[in-house]
Amino acid sequence: MANQNINVDPISLTKNSQEETIGSKGSAVAKRLQKELMALMMSSEKSVSAFPDNSNLFKWKATIVGPQDTVYENQKYRLSIEFPNNYPYTAPKVVFLTPCFHPNIDLSTGALCLDILKEKWSALYDVRTILLSIQSLLSEPNNESPLNTQAAGLWKNQEEYKKYLLQFYEKNKDV
Amino acid sequence: MEGSWNKLKFCFPIISHKLEYNETNREKLDELCKELISLNVLDEITQMLCLEIQNTLLKQIVPEFWKPFFENNLESQSNNKAKQKCEFQIFRNAITQLFRRYQLLNRIMVQVKYLESKTGKKLIYNFDEVFKSSLLSQLPDSFTNIVHAFYYVSFKVFINTKADNDDDEEFMEEREECLGCEMLQLKCQCQELVNAFGEINLCLTKMGLLDRISGYTLTHLIQNEIYNHIQKTCKGNFDTQHLKNLEKWLDTIVLEWLTRIYNNGSSKLDPTNTKIRESINCFQMKLKYFLYEKYANSIIDQFFNIIIEFPESQPAIDDLKLCMEKLDLRAHLVETLKTSLKTRLLHQGVDTCDIITGYVATIKTMRHLEKSGILLQTCTEPVKEYLRKCRQDTVRCVVTSLIEETPSDLAEELARSEAIKAEENERNKDEMNNWQEWSPDPVDAITDSEKHSRNRKSDIISMIVDIYGSKELFVNEYRNLLAERLLINLDFNPEKEIRNLELLKLRFGENLLHSCEVMLRDISDSKRINAHILESETFTSTAEKDEPSVSALIVSSQFWPTFKKETMELPDEMNKIFERYKKSYEEYKGNRTLCWSALNGKVNIEIEINDKKLDLTVTPAQATIIWHFQNQKEWQLDSLSTVINMPPSVLRRRIGFWQLQGLIRETKENLFVLCDEKQQDCEMETQVNVVLDEEETMVSANDQREEELQVFWSYILGMLTNLDSMPLERIHQMLKLFASQGPGFEFSQDELKSFLQRKVREHKLVYALGVYQLPKN
Repeated sequence: MANQNINVDPISLTKNSQEETIGSKGSAVAKRLQKELMALMMSSEKSVSAFPDNSNLFKWKATIVGPQDTVYENQKYRLSIEFPNNYPYTAPKVVFLTPCFHPNIDLSTGALCLDILKEKWSALYDVRTILLSIQSLLSEPNNESPLNTQAAGLWKNQEEYKKYLLQFYEKNKDV
Repeated sequence: MEGSWNKLKFCFPIISHKLEYNETNREKLDELCKELISLNVLDEITQMLCLEIQNTLLKQIVPEFWKPFFENNLESQSNNKAKQKCEFQIFRNAITQLFRRYQLLNRIMVQVKYLESKTGKKLIYNFDEVFKSSLLSQLPDSFTNIVHAFYYVSFKVFINTKADNDDDEEFMEEREECLGCEMLQLKCQCQELVNAFGEINLCLTKMGLLDRISGYTLTHLIQNEIYNHIQKTCKGNFDTQHLKNLEKWLDTIVLEWLTRIYNNGSSKLDPTNTKIRESINCFQMKLKYFLYEKYANSIIDQFFNIIIEFPESQPAIDDLKLCMEKLDLRAHLVETLKTSLKTRLLHQGVDTCDIITGYVATIKTMRHLEKSGILLQTCTEPVKEYLRKCRQDTVRCVVTSLIEETPSDLAEELARSEAIKAEENERNKDEMNNWQEWSPDPVDAITDSEKHSRNRKSDIISMIVDIYGSKELFVNEYRNLLAERLLINLDFNPEKEIRNLELLKLRFGENLLHSCEVMLRDISDSKRINAHILESETFTSTAEKDEPSVSALIVSSQFWPTFKKETMELPDEMNKIFERYKKSYEEYKGNRTLCWSALNGKVNIEIEINDKKLDLTVTPAQATIIWHFQNQKEWQLDSLSTVINMPPSVLRRRIGFWQLQGLIRETKENLFVLCDEKQQDCEMETQVNVVLDEEETMVSANDQREEELQVFWSYILGMLTNLDSMPLERIHQMLKLFASQGPGFEFSQDELKSFLQRKVREHKLVYALGVYQLPKN
């Protein structure tokens, strides 16, 4: 009698649906993203991390911990990364989810200004290197083309900057 | 007045407390009647007579009837047989006397009734009722024992006379005692007993007491006899069907005996006597039910033995099947079997292999009992759980017995698998055609998932694999065992392995066993390549004289189980040869290279020491050790350990092999010396040993699993770092989506749950409100 019912194996089902999403956007991209995820998971680097949000492989959430011995020390920032269909030939879209007080980060949109995500993008970069670049951007801002002029102005006075930043971070950080 | 009284006394001696009866004719009675009427006392006198009879009953007859039974109770119980005989007599005497008095009183009653008829009123009670009630009101406790003894003796006699007809006479004559009455043959009282028995039953029937006095005891006795009969004929004897014989026994012997009791000693039933017929039929039905129940229970109680003896015990199962059609025994069967499996199988003292054998036997037996497999499923749940939880080596045992040389249940089963598949398809077709015969599952079936009902009908191998619920685990273990066998036994029998592999492929699918196929091909390929290289120019041209001959087994590391990561430095001389071999291979195979696995393989060495020659087959590690003693006779453990690049503890264990051979001694702590003095000779005679260290070359399936889990843990960490908190289901889903790169992702939600719980216990996770989180620093 049992063989009358179609036994749907849950594992194969999810695999199929995964293939569908991959299929629509190109399985090569998905393969690359899977590989990047694997590399990221297996790396010993713990200050940056990322993982697909929901079951969509093209939309990730990332976490960056502020680099040691800088004003951003031990602060945790959540970001979102969206990969285009022709990744890695086009850079992913990276946005800060946690409001970040920084000369190169737009406070209202969370958008950030980083050359490797724009004109200097190369297919050799991957999620890990992007995140590490953003991490180092935190301590080494580019004050020439600020998105946040207040932060850019304050940067020279590190003590003041730190005081303001801490207040700001406490107010806006994720629980 | 005086005359009338005398007449009354004459007609009814009972009025003056005499238990007598005077035959009086009708005229005299009529005369007495007239006188009493004229005195206007007929009513009173009739009642008085009644009272007097009742009194006699209560004060005299009944106590006297019961008296011997009371006395008997005090008697010593020493001789059982004699006692039974004695009780038989007591019962017989008491009943005979009671019957005489009953008849006497009955005659008096007839006369009293005549008087009553003259009054034209209803004055007297129903005598039989009073008789019964007064008798039973004084029933002593021990009475049933005596009745029991009475019927027991007669039953034995009856059975014996029945048996006499069937059994061969010779056997009977050899016995001095008669089986029935247990007296010497010459003094056999059987006939006498039978007569007495018939007589007493007749008395009881006439008094209307048969049911009251004997009914309960009779039922009890017969039930007991049925039980004993079943035990005697069927216990431990499973290879014939007993049910028919038992029924025949019941129908002929027991029921005929009963008929005799109820039918005044005759076994021929008068067809018009519906009352007796009915009560006999009623008895028959009750007894048949009882027989079935007792027999089924006796089978169920011995069910474990039946399982062990299956298929020889098949008839017993067939009997049980018949019983189960009539009785609801499922719950009892399940409980009993579960308990006996637990006490007999599931404890420390039983080998895993034996548990599996028991499990297989259970599956076979239960299959025979019930096609649907529901009982089987319920009964074997504890076995499966035990194997899963307490026996780490289950998979290994199963795989070994699947492929081992000696025939085993499982190997046979595997060989049969093809036939089964075809049969199954056939059956499925049948099922569709005969859909009208479909019946729903019984209520006690486990209905928790689709998977269960699918498994019920699957074959034994699937049932065994089902213990773990994962084919991958089995296939991995098979791969490990295959690898071990291939590495240890270099001249293996490829035909047999290939046949095994083909059979396994049928069962587990091509994909899972792909690497095993590659492994087998590696073996044959490497023989060819090896031969080619050994003859090749590059290898032979640079060869030195007297160098050891090498032959390589070339395996594709991707498809073989992980080798242990341990390393070892080979002697330079060997390294040179290997290097040359590698070059030749690279030349031959283009862009491929060889990676030597120094610890695996075997070495044939010849040791010449003290004019003795030793031929040994040892592991590369052992050979390397003794090699180093060739040039330097004393080694510190530490320095040797650096030279060979082997941890000291492992090295010490391996030196142990040479110590056993008597070639190396530990003279001081951590100082090993080669013994080449003559005095050692006697101990080390020229024994030619082929010793292979029992080291496992492969990483066990368990260790591999642990590694896999570690990978999952990294993913879980990444997941929770970025997505904060997640419920179990989502973690599982995410792992399936993103962490299932390797072949055979198998990670059930339950397994994940226990893994996560472990991490919670280790304080690496926090679990609250149904979601898992990373602890806050």
